[in-house]
Amino acid sequence: MPASVELRRWRWKRRADDQLRAFWSKPLPSKRADWRELEFLALDAEMSSLDPDEGELLSLGWVLIRDGDIALDTACHLVIRPAQSVGQSATIHQLRDCEVAEGVDAEQALDSLLEAARGKVLVFHHAPLDLAYLDRLSMASHGAPLLQPHLCTLQMEKRLLERREQALKKGDLTLGACRRRYHLPDYHGHNALWDALATAELLLAQAAHRGRGARLTLRQLAG
Amino acid sequence: MTDALPAELLEIAEFLGASPPFNELGAEELRVAAGTLRIAYHPRGERFEQGAQPGGLRILRSGAVDIRDGEGALLDRLGEGESFHIDGLNAEQGGVTATVIEDALVYLLPDAEYRRLRKQRSVDRYFSGQRSRRLRRAARYEPQPHSMMREVHTVMARDLLTVSPMETVQVVAGVMTERRVSSAFVVEDGQLLGIVTDRDIRARYAAAGLDPATPVEGIMTPDPEAILGTDTLFSSMLLMTQRGYHHLPVMEDGKLAGIVTTSDLILARQDDPVYLVQHISRTESVDALAELLKGMPNLMVQWVSSGMRAQQVSRILTAISDAATVRLIQLAEARLGPAPVAYCWLGFGSQARGEQLLGADQDNGLLLSDEYSEEHADYFEALANFVCDGLDACGYDYCNGKVMASNPEWRVPLPTWLGYVDKWTRSPTPDAVMRVSIFFDLRGVHGDAAMAATLQAHMLERASSNSIFLAALAANALDASPPLGIFRRFVVDRDGEHRDRLDLKKRGILLATDTARLHALAHKVPAVNTDERLEALARGKHMAIGDSRNLADALRFMQQLRIRHQAAQVSRGDKPDNFLNPNDLPRLAREQLRDAFKILDDAQAALRQKYRAGLG
Repeated sequence: MPASVELRRWRWKRRADDQLRAFWSKPLPSKRADWRELEFLALDAEMSSLDPDEGELLSLGWVLIRDGDIALDTACHLVIRPAQSVGQSATIHQLRDCEVAEGVDAEQALDSLLEAARGKVLVFHHAPLDLAYLDRLSMASHGAPLLQPHLCTLQMEKRLLERREQALKKGDLTLGACRRRYHLPDYHGHNALWDALATAELLLAQAAHRGRGARLTLRQLAG
Repeated sequence: MTDALPAELLEIAEFLGASPPFNELGAEELRVAAGTLRIAYHPRGERFEQGAQPGGLRILRSGAVDIRDGEGALLDRLGEGESFHIDGLNAEQGGVTATVIEDALVYLLPDAEYRRLRKQRSVDRYFSGQRSRRLRRAARYEPQPHSMMREVHTVMARDLLTVSPMETVQVVAGVMTERRVSSAFVVEDGQLLGIVTDRDIRARYAAAGLDPATPVEGIMTPDPEAILGTDTLFSSMLLMTQRGYHHLPVMEDGKLAGIVTTSDLILARQDDPVYLVQHISRTESVDALAELLKGMPNLMVQWVSSGMRAQQVSRILTAISDAATVRLIQLAEARLGPAPVAYCWLGFGSQARGEQLLGADQDNGLLLSDEYSEEHADYFEALANFVCDGLDACGYDYCNGKVMASNPEWRVPLPTWLGYVDKWTRSPTPDAVMRVSIFFDLRGVHGDAAMAATLQAHMLERASSNSIFLAALAANALDASPPLGIFRRFVVDRDGEHRDRLDLKKRGILLATDTARLHALAHKVPAVNTDERLEALARGKHMAIGDSRNLADALRFMQQLRIRHQAAQVSRGDKPDNFLNPNDLPRLAREQLRDAFKILDDAQAALRQKYRAGLG
């Protein structure tokens, strides 16, 4: 991860604008550090379509993990004002135009995120989708993708179950199903921030069960 | 960065607000407090000790934690919504630890915010008084309940047969036979020289063909191993099995004081309620059953003194009265022949709830199958009379209100029972409401349990959908109130022989059971036992977890007081009752009783608010 991130950043360096380069200027988190010494930003986005070519971001929520705990005073939720009308697809998320209208521009939202995410490991549950949207947005406004190290709790859980040679059924890797495996409480579909928090809690549980109180490096955690 | 919690996470503030003492905070304050929380995950097995970092109040969002003192004794078990501050616990008593027993998601309120909140009086009162915590600790404290941990002097025989060393074997054998004992001590000048037992006489005298005039000194076991009166039954049993002894001398203050035998130890186990229930099922007559149950008050004293908790005692007493009822029904059927149609013997009130204590009257009825017709009337009348008379003979007095199967009104087919329920719920007259408090706590004791379940389901259906009926029940439940003023005035029931004393049942325990019943009926909770009702109500979110636990703890504490009071009465040879004088209680128990009454008062206020709002 970080090595290839470094390489990719180097490749994109000339096309990235000053703001993105400033975001990258903070040293990358060390893969050999114990996870509790690092900072993570658990992140979730809501979008109007599962296809990044069609949809756009509707909201972003994030919360910081520091010293091995989630710090609620860092929780942030941004509603994004759509460039085009929400249309039919947004009904899945129960967002209506009037609610969405009072948001910030997508570019502003990304800037806030860049500020919050500097030097942190991003954490998603199912990273590819969220990252596709964020990278597309970053390309458009800053000339290059985000290129920040990240963890995907879904991927981590999948690898864990595969190592245990458990047959995976449909639905075994949803956020709720993963949480139940660690006896985390059931939450019922809320908003991007709530899902970001649920993802952060899942990461803590995964780390606790892997580390069992002992040192656990970022590399071990990701693997 | 934001100060208060974002609106998207308001549920966290709501969760906090449902756990005492945060329920005292306003919505805005809660949101600010929740905004400072940190969230941590602790897998099973993790332990917190004094000085655990970061410091603060830990509130369980999910999972469970055991709090133990320095010696490892369990002080408390915490679940969802409950909290602990490990350094706060250590302030009272060193070495307290908290161990995660189920994977826990923990909300940590950092010390700075915790201290800031404690500046509010209501919050501080909770943490410094720890009202509910204190009660919980008292109610859950469990000393060694095992009967084998009792001390030897409680079962040993003190009436000893002692003989001099020069006495002949023949004389000694004669005296032993006469006194029907299996051993004698050989003593000279107050010194224990040896012990002689049946076996010694057989093996060392008769089988050896010795002269009857042989001095007993010649066949005794010299310098027998002895134990102390303060040793446990367990250790004496161990010694006996290891060395093959059947008799052990017991010393007190350096002198021979008694003897225990293997049969004493086996007898000592007969206070085991399992034995009693087994014996009940084998009795062949009402007289034999009555004789067996006569020992029950003494058994209860033993259970209480060996540390059994009130809840367990009443569970067992209920199991015993169930067993007696079933046995009487079997005896009746042996006499009358098998029942012509299916039926279910119903237990009501405290028997149904599993909360019986000594001196309970009978509350029962017969639920007959739809196939019942007039021609079967004589059979069931005879059966009911046999069982109710039998119960009365066994110490379960006839019910004053005639709620008994022997009363034809309560010995009817299912449709008639359903009709009763419809009538009571449709027009809740004071009389009907009073009946509900007896009949709606119901359990099938013998026979077709499915019929009892049908009747109970109907009760829940009718009660839960009828707010006028519930309001009438609430009015009845609010009729009596906890005597909070008692601690200032000490004037209790002014009439009768119990002046200056407190009716703990009427002014305390029943208020808790009434409250739980009303909520259970309103929310269709099928549980009947009060603890189970409270748990189900909390689980179904019909009651805040804190309120449910507090009420359960208050009830447990009052039951504990009541049972200790009754055990003391039985030991003194008095008839057990429910009247106690708060002046007689130790200071801590008085404080705890006041806490319990305060919780009942809160519960009644909630009841008034919920079922009688706008009705005055």
